[in-house]
Amino acid sequence: MKISVNGEIKEFSQESLTIDKILKILEYKRGIAVALNETFIIKTKYSNTVVKDGDRLDILSPIEGG
Amino acid sequence: MKKWKIEGREFDSRLMIGSALYPSPEIMAQSIKASGSEIVTIALRRQSATSLKDGNAFWDIIRELGVTLLPNTAGCHTAKEAVTTAMMAREIFEVDWVKLEVIGNQYNLQPDPFELVKATKILIDEGFRVLPYMTDDLVLAQKLADLGCTTLMPWGSPIGSGRGLMNPYSLKSIRKQFPNLNLIVDAGIGKPSDAIRAMELGFDGVLLNSAVALAQEPIKMAEAFKYAIIAGRLGFEAGAMEKRDMASPSTPTVGTPFWHQI
Repeated sequence: MKISVNGEIKEFSQESLTIDKILKILEYKRGIAVALNETFIIKTKYSNTVVKDGDRLDILSPIEGG
Repeated sequence: MKKWKIEGREFDSRLMIGSALYPSPEIMAQSIKASGSEIVTIALRRQSATSLKDGNAFWDIIRELGVTLLPNTAGCHTAKEAVTTAMMAREIFEVDWVKLEVIGNQYNLQPDPFELVKATKILIDEGFRVLPYMTDDLVLAQKLADLGCTTLMPWGSPIGSGRGLMNPYSLKSIRKQFPNLNLIVDAGIGKPSDAIRAMELGFDGVLLNSAVALAQEPIKMAEAFKYAIIAGRLGFEAGAMEKRDMASPSTPTVGTPFWHQI
């Protein structure tokens, strides 16, 4: 499947993957929050939320702000 | 100065400060300390796993300061984007409040009042304490208050413009109409005198960033704002004298020597 991760197209050999698997493959650790197709996904749902071809994943982390 | 309460939390300082645009992370940390501010705004952005490989240095510095964090939804243009960002911020920062920012115009970064109201309603229903960044519109203030906001943050002037208070009349009107809400002037402050003016209008606090971060000496400017906020607040509490058209001598006139008599 091909999905968009932070605006970049990423290709995976699997047809679908859960969010926690994707975060592991991409080597994300702590201090992040995730939105799937512009909808916030709570951490506790990473293991049972399935990402499919064409989906958009946004992975955000703290930065400076005003 | 007495402590004050905002959204159920108690603070000494009435200055809220941003964490962006400083010449370096070290100057940011020292400026925040020098400002005496206990509330610091921060944001969320897309970041790659590579950039976070060794942790998040900015996040570590901010945490070490031991301040209360106020996440913003900067960069959002719709209620949906702002709601999603606020929810992500609540999870990461473990706070239930948000500086709600929904931009409606790219030229002056003016908040979109319609999307702001929409997002405020959703977030309050989701259990958030919403601090809306808004224009100085009295009707908008009423709508937000009706939804349950207990803090309103009208702009002084556009974000990062340093133009001070463009419309003191509107700010004064909001203060007069909402005596029981916390009112913060957010955005547009350029000089310490702008902050004093906001506080003298009876505003409960000031939120600024560029005025300190872009100053020639940010740490010194942060300290200047610390005292400006105190001066403005004490001045407001003390109550200024009435203006008069005619001069009135302050030195007693009784016993004036003869050579002064006309």
